[in-house]
Amino acid sequence: MATNGSVPTVTIRIQRFNPDADKKPYLQAFQVKAPPGKTILDALHEIKEEQDGSLTFRRSCRHAICGSCAMNVNGRHMLVCDAPLREHVDRHGVLTLRPLAYLPIIKDLVVDRTSFWEQYQRVKPWLIPPENIPEKEFRMSAEEVAALRDAEHCIMCGACYSSCQVIALTKQYIGPHALLKAFLRVLDPRDSAPAERLADLDRGDGVYRCHTIFNCIDACPKGLNPTEAIETLRKLVIKRGAFEAARAERQRRLDQPIEVVGEAPALSGGE
Amino acid sequence: MAPSDVITHDVIVVGAGLAGTWAAMSAMEAGVRDVGVLSKLHPLRSHSGAAQGGIAAALNNVRPVAGTGPRGPLEQIPPDAEPIDSWELHMFDTIKGSDWLGDQDAIEIMVKDAIDIVYAYEHMGCVFSRTPDGRIAQRRFGGHSTPRANYAADWTGHVLLHTIHEQALKHGVKFYSEWFALDLIVEDRVCKGVVAMNIQTGAIIPMRAKAVMFGTGGYGRAWKITSNATANTGDGVAIAYNAGIPLMDMEFVQFHPTGLYRHGILMSEACRGEGGYLLNKAGERFMERYAPDKMELAPRDLVSRSEQREIDEGRGVEEDGQGIYLDLRHLGRDKIMERLPQVRDIALKFVGVDIIDGLCPIQPTAHYSMGGIPANADGQVIADAEGTPVIGLYAAGECACISVHGANRLGTNSLLDASVFGRRAGYAIAEFVKGGAALQPVEGDPAAPAQRRIAHLMSDPPGGKGESWAALARALKETMTVNAGIFRDEARLKTALADIRALQERFERARVMDRSRRFNTDVLGAIETENLLIFSEVIAVSALERTESRGAHARTDYPKRDDENWLRHTLAHKTPDGPALSYKGVTIDWEKYPPQERKY
Ligand SMILES: Cc1cc2nc3c(=O)[nH]c(=O)nc-3n(C[C@H](O)[C@H](O)[C@H](O)COP(=O)(O)OP(=O)(O)OC[C@H]3O[C@@H](n4cnc5c(N)ncnc54)[C@H](O)[C@@H]3O)c2cc1C
Ligand code: FES
Repeated sequence: MATNGSVPTVTIRIQRFNPDADKKPYLQAFQVKAPPGKTILDALHEIKEEQDGSLTFRRSCRHAICGSCAMNVNGRHMLVCDAPLREHVDRHGVLTLRPLAYLPIIKDLVVDRTSFWEQYQRVKPWLIPPENIPEKEFRMSAEEVAALRDAEHCIMCGACYSSCQVIALTKQYIGPHALLKAFLRVLDPRDSAPAERLADLDRGDGVYRCHTIFNCIDACPKGLNPTEAIETLRKLVIKRGAFEAARAERQRRLDQPIEVVGEAPALSGGE
Repeated sequence: MAPSDVITHDVIVVGAGLAGTWAAMSAMEAGVRDVGVLSKLHPLRSHSGAAQGGIAAALNNVRPVAGTGPRGPLEQIPPDAEPIDSWELHMFDTIKGSDWLGDQDAIEIMVKDAIDIVYAYEHMGCVFSRTPDGRIAQRRFGGHSTPRANYAADWTGHVLLHTIHEQALKHGVKFYSEWFALDLIVEDRVCKGVVAMNIQTGAIIPMRAKAVMFGTGGYGRAWKITSNATANTGDGVAIAYNAGIPLMDMEFVQFHPTGLYRHGILMSEACRGEGGYLLNKAGERFMERYAPDKMELAPRDLVSRSEQREIDEGRGVEEDGQGIYLDLRHLGRDKIMERLPQVRDIALKFVGVDIIDGLCPIQPTAHYSMGGIPANADGQVIADAEGTPVIGLYAAGECACISVHGANRLGTNSLLDASVFGRRAGYAIAEFVKGGAALQPVEGDPAAPAQRRIAHLMSDPPGGKGESWAALARALKETMTVNAGIFRDEARLKTALADIRALQERFERARVMDRSRRFNTDVLGAIETENLLIFSEVIAVSALERTESRGAHARTDYPKRDDENWLRHTLAHKTPDGPALSYKGVTIDWEKYPPQERKY
């Protein structure tokens, strides 16, 4: 890193491409200061505002919850809004940014996620509730909620999708993000169509396409584990008849209080 | 205009956060067949997804353990026990929080609907946290006298947004993802559609509809330090104002006490709820001086003002003295890891502090916009103090002012506001459309002004050197922070106004570097900056006129609330000479909820 006083200057190489003007993508280097606390997204903003207004990327929330800013940093897919700049430059003070892999490029770091969203829609991400809706809430146990935690927390950034070797080969594959969503619905005691959902996943481009390479786990900025969810789904696909019967049984008690065995877990005291 | 260039729907919703998506879904549910929603972000990227704490409703699932005090543990309410909460109590807390500027009829609707809408989310598959017996879990929140924040861990907004988006897809709502609204087509108080840009292609397209609904969110980006997403540039309010719709109560902007130092990113209220301290340079828990009883748990406006006073009087921390320390060390590793894992992560990543053994620098952060597009409780936009409706135009959520939050919003009431009034707007729109509303003829080419604006931004600047919109935005944020921030007075607000007008003038010379049509975020940045400049002027003028202190509007030269003169809403109307103000009465039930002193 070149230093200027105590604040180093680093080089960010960014893959540029405007399909209307450029024959093919190319790398362009920019120099920025790298004080502590500066994120890669801060650097992108600075370049756009002060050096090249045509540099194009997506972002919004700035704290890893909206899923806009996933991209490829030095070969790894991650969110750049909470990625400290300094931690990602190599010993020569260089960092390389490219768009998410395996997706058509719209412009620079912005990709076309159409196939990603189509697969999300294909798994019918919405709940299919039972016929009888209680006046108040459906009752769910702490364990039932905990089982959904990972799937519910997914921010649909696409980091896993673009790291998946199967997606690299075929966009017919549902993909880790949509399978995680399918898992959310299948495992939710309130969902009435788990067998139908599992049948839909029981296909060449469904749960069996996952080669268990674990790239999705490494890529997930939220530390989620799509591979494990896919493995669970695989098991359930086989036993879906029994699973559906158990679900029907569970749904008969959905308006009944959960009985707690042993000591009840503490509730959060503060705000 | 070639007919093929126009897009037509029965209903067009601008914004795909909670408010817009509820409206679209409910209109479909109520029998409208053709609803299009446009959003400048993919719908699931909307800022509603960033909300952490919870959504308020008096469900009576949880109560404080008897005799343990305001910070004690909570337990589920046994099935046969007396309820502790009610919509009436929720209503009173909200009115008091609003410093009596909230309209009490609208508040009543909101707190009553709250219960139903939270159950509706649950029935649609939202994964809430639970009590041991399986009910929705609730926590405490500032300004609420009972634990009534219904939550899903600390990503409540995220799960609500995903749930409602899924439902909208199920109902067949058509989404235009990454389309940017530029103008409203309103003639003689009749709304006829919008003009929008398809961001991916750069095409500017008139969109006609029988009804248009705005759910475009808040506008915290006018300040240097803000918890708001980069998308929160108040486009909707600026577009409405340009189209001749007044803006209401724009002077009321909430500053949250714990934004991460320099970044503004929210450090949840949970930090103080769990027992965190606020310290100044000398290591004093300075809240002793300002709220000896509630200390750090006093309401947001009061805590933010106390922090700012410490900073202004030279007792701030960090090199520029603009920070305050949040001290969580005494909570211990276990509690921090269990209750505040996200907060710890944020502090580690952004300021390199581990809150387990380090002091985390924070500062007040612009957080929530109480004011906005005036609308009645059916979301119908109104044109004046008499409540004359603009036919076919609706608004809800943070861009609207219904007004349920008055001068200061309580935490967890805004996810509620966006949901309840989004849904009501959807139903009202359905009635309007099914009642025979027709597409209105549009004169001329409604897209022409937007085309001109963009061509202008892409043209060569006179004399070769244009202004940078980013530099203008920075200058605006600076003056808004210093002169129209937490503390205001006549001199400062006049400075702000002069600065804003000078920046508006300079904006005429703003040009973009990116001259391409495809996904041009340089152009969008410029337009967003122009929007910031438009509504910031309204904020400064409205704040300058309001010579009192109420809720989030704190005038050091008028430190008292003045009900005799100022128990009324500000309406700002666009004129060639800048905003002209008129005033609208507050709806108050004088028997039940007469104004009182707001003490905590
Ligand atoms: C960090 C944070 C935490 C919060 N936590 C809580 C909480 O715990 N509880 C609570 O009640 N409230 C909370 N709030 C407030 C609450 O989240 C918001 O007030 C609420 O979500 C606003 O919803 P909305 O639907 O009005 O707008 P948003 O969700 O902001 O959606 C706005 C929509 O409009 C679209 N849009 C904007 N401009 C344009 C344009 N020009 N063209 C096209 N589309 C456009 C955007 O793309 C987006 O889809 C929090 C706010 C923040 C900032
Ligand atoms: S900007 Fe939202 S996830 Fe990075």
